[in-house]
Amino acid sequence: MSDTREQEFLEYVQGGGQVETHDWMPEEYRKRLIKFVEMHANSELMGVLPERDWILRAPTLQRKLALTAKIQDEVGHAQLIYRVVEDLGKPRDDCLDDLLSGRSKFHNVFHYPTRTWGDVGVIAWLVDAAAIISQKALLKCSYGPYARIMKRICWEESFHVLHGRDVVLALVNGTDLQRELVQEALDRWWVPLMMFHGTPLPAEDDPMLHWRIKSQANEGARQQFLEGYVPQVRELGLTLPDPKLRRREDGTWEYTEPDWDELMSVVSGHGPASAERLAFRRLSRAEVDWVSRVVLAEAA
Amino acid sequence: MSARADLLLELADDELILGWRDSEWTGIAPFLEEDVAFSSIAQNEIGHARALYELAAAELGTTADELAFDRAPDEYRCAPLVELRRLEWARTIARHWLYETADAIRLEALKGCDDIELAGLAAKIDREELYHRMHAEMWVDRLLGSDEGRAKLDEALVELWPYALGVLDDDLRPELVRRVEDRLGRTMPAAEPVRRGDHVAELRELLEEMTSVRRSAPGAEW
Repeated sequence: MSDTREQEFLEYVQGGGQVETHDWMPEEYRKRLIKFVEMHANSELMGVLPERDWILRAPTLQRKLALTAKIQDEVGHAQLIYRVVEDLGKPRDDCLDDLLSGRSKFHNVFHYPTRTWGDVGVIAWLVDAAAIISQKALLKCSYGPYARIMKRICWEESFHVLHGRDVVLALVNGTDLQRELVQEALDRWWVPLMMFHGTPLPAEDDPMLHWRIKSQANEGARQQFLEGYVPQVRELGLTLPDPKLRRREDGTWEYTEPDWDELMSVVSGHGPASAERLAFRRLSRAEVDWVSRVVLAEAA
Repeated sequence: MSARADLLLELADDELILGWRDSEWTGIAPFLEEDVAFSSIAQNEIGHARALYELAAAELGTTADELAFDRAPDEYRCAPLVELRRLEWARTIARHWLYETADAIRLEALKGCDDIELAGLAAKIDREELYHRMHAEMWVDRLLGSDEGRAKLDEALVELWPYALGVLDDDLRPELVRRVEDRLGRTMPAAEPVRRGDHVAELRELLEEMTSVRRSAPGAEW
């Protein structure tokens, strides 16, 4: 009986049907969905940390305003996405506990340090561009509430890309030192960017595609990123640190295979800035713990 | 420098430095909702600073960015209240509320001044500050709602009180004392104001960080 129900559900979502919060769903679907959406929310939240220090160092009032607004959007996204997880049955506090104890993950790019103002441009332009590609593919997610908030998120991310490109443009048109800031940042971020969309898992082996939580395979997303952005990067006279990178006649991009073991190691909390970021967030959570107590006491 | 430019820089520096301090909470506020709120407040304060610097810059023949970033630490005219580094929630709320209370008094006076440009800008700024005041009042209520919150807020208010007194001049200061004491239903301790012009050590560290990127390529476009 339950097998038939599950089969019907699978056919429904594979056929493009969308599920709502109070609809019946197989446990496996719910579990995978929570894990996926929670990692997305964690990533938005952890993604604030590499950029936040640069609000304080932004070199003009306009850049300071734009960067503050961009990072505020990311916190807003975290808030929206955690609400989706909450509706699926996992409270926000539990998500934060799991994030801080390392039981849940966040995206690879947020495990790396930021070193210069060049990083601010490269992150907003290219990391956010890579993220939009993944997030646009979620507009067709089989879980309706998640798909719907993705519209607003993609719209906001597209502003971030424009902001990032504007920061990069100002630097490449600036002094030699400013140009060097972008090139050096790009050199450091390229490998994490190539890992961003995940291992080239065949579509038929990807459970996220099976349940139509995602609608695009990892390699397809990476190819779309390369096709969209490699020409733009080169147009600015910047170089990419991969001698194998080239576009074949058939339109697919060749590139040096990233070290996928490194990706697994980074996302399981062993990246260059993972421990420091989590420690910083643990410390700040402990310091403001009393505020939750007080607010709950007041609400009671 | 004219008295008008002097006043504009006082106001702009207060807003810039407070906006900078508010941004220190980005990513680490007690709740995501507060993270978003403090980011909004920071953006408003920086926006106000920019508008005020622009008025001053027109008079001084410079730009808002040069006034915000390129002066020597001793040339800043902000009140020490906004300079203090207090990345702790009770002190953040105490400063937020004390500053907004003082700022409301100052804006009321400016809205009625003869300088049409400044009065108009003060009215515009005040429309946004209204929401900051509502936010600050909400947090004062929340903290006063429990013994633990009240104790922490009281301690922070007493610590910051001499600094708050330094935000306003001698004419407007008594009104601040009246409003604060009325709201809290208690007498604040008599204290010597920590006046504008005396800088605390944290200002120099803040400016060092704030201008670090800009100084790396002087005169460049960013």
